Amino acid sequence: MGRIVFAAAMSHVLDPDYYQAACGLSGRRKVEACMTEIRKLGDAFLARRPDALIVVADDHVNAFSFNAVPAMCVRIGRHVNRMFQEEAEAFDKVLDGMPERYALHEELANRILEDGLGAGFDLALSWEAPIDHAFLSPVMTMHGSRPVTPLVPIWVNCFIAPQPTPARCFALGRHIAAVVAKSPWSVGVIATGGLSHFPELLLPRVGESDVVFDQKLLHWLEAGEHEPLLSLTTSELHKTGEHEFLNWMVLLGAVTPARADVRYFGELGRINLAAVEWRLA
Amino acid sequence: MSRYEVNSLLYRLKKDAAFRTRFNADPEAALAGLDLTEAERAAFIARDMERINALGGYLHLVMSVPGMAAHVTHPERE
Repeated sequence: MGRIVFAAAMSHVLDPDYYQAACGLSGRRKVEACMTEIRKLGDAFLARRPDALIVVADDHVNAFSFNAVPAMCVRIGRHVNRMFQEEAEAFDKVLDGMPERYALHEELANRILEDGLGAGFDLALSWEAPIDHAFLSPVMTMHGSRPVTPLVPIWVNCFIAPQPTPARCFALGRHIAAVVAKSPWSVGVIATGGLSHFPELLLPRVGESDVVFDQKLLHWLEAGEHEPLLSLTTSELHKTGEHEFLNWMVLLGAVTPARADVRYFGELGRINLAAVEWRLA
Repeated sequence: MSRYEVNSLLYRLKKDAAFRTRFNADPEAALAGLDLTEAERAAFIARDMERINALGGYLHLVMSVPGMAAHVTHPERE
């Protein structure tokens, strides 16, 4: 019987140069401290000898253009390439120098997709979409120079309204947990992004974050109180800059009612950096 | 929802290096024939990313189009 052997959520621009340019030396120091904790999470994950790593993250109009924006999408196939951006700027630069191609856990991805459709969960699928920093910055920070665990990338549309509801994202997590339980594999799940940044996606508000809302979310995660999170709205997440918490809701559905331990939380003004691990039975 | 024409243009400026070069050389010619309002066209010609964002341009594109991206920095804080 399969098991989720590791679950964590973390910020996903893990680039000291980016944060130094944006926020000065304190930006560099804080993201480095966050990355130190994420490397330790990577050690803990790999020590459990996982067969696969499900990565729940969002697209930044890199994988999907405006021809289609899936609410939720599973990447299938044997391999996935990293997004390539000529003359990359800002958060896109973190991908420079990373390997171009990554193995997928094809069978687990197919089961999540096919069982989902069978159970009324109409997931989109992609054979070609590349993965950007939201996937690879955490994955590479966790693995370092070690071989990368076969991935199952899952996108959630966090930014292009209308987004899926937090409750629906949680339900996707329940579905993933059921698929893993029926499988023979030991699986890790990470959700990436956040915490609060870029409220309302308005340029003049870049630099603001909602620490109070973050602390409320973290309290519920630590206490294992998931009920209040199910009634969050996408409008609330938009106002508070918590768009990417939708990814965390998927993970939460996969591990509920497990409690979380906050490994790192750092206020940066521009964003509140975080790394959180769940205590699994 | 964000305005499609503004965002598809931002996407093209980010992902299509040849189009970006044409836009940089002669923005008015590069935008000719596109279904933009006068305000949108003026904002692109002025390379005014804050205005483009206010007109519905998606933030992550506004912050990452090579050579045009808005770089917002913040004072040092502890």
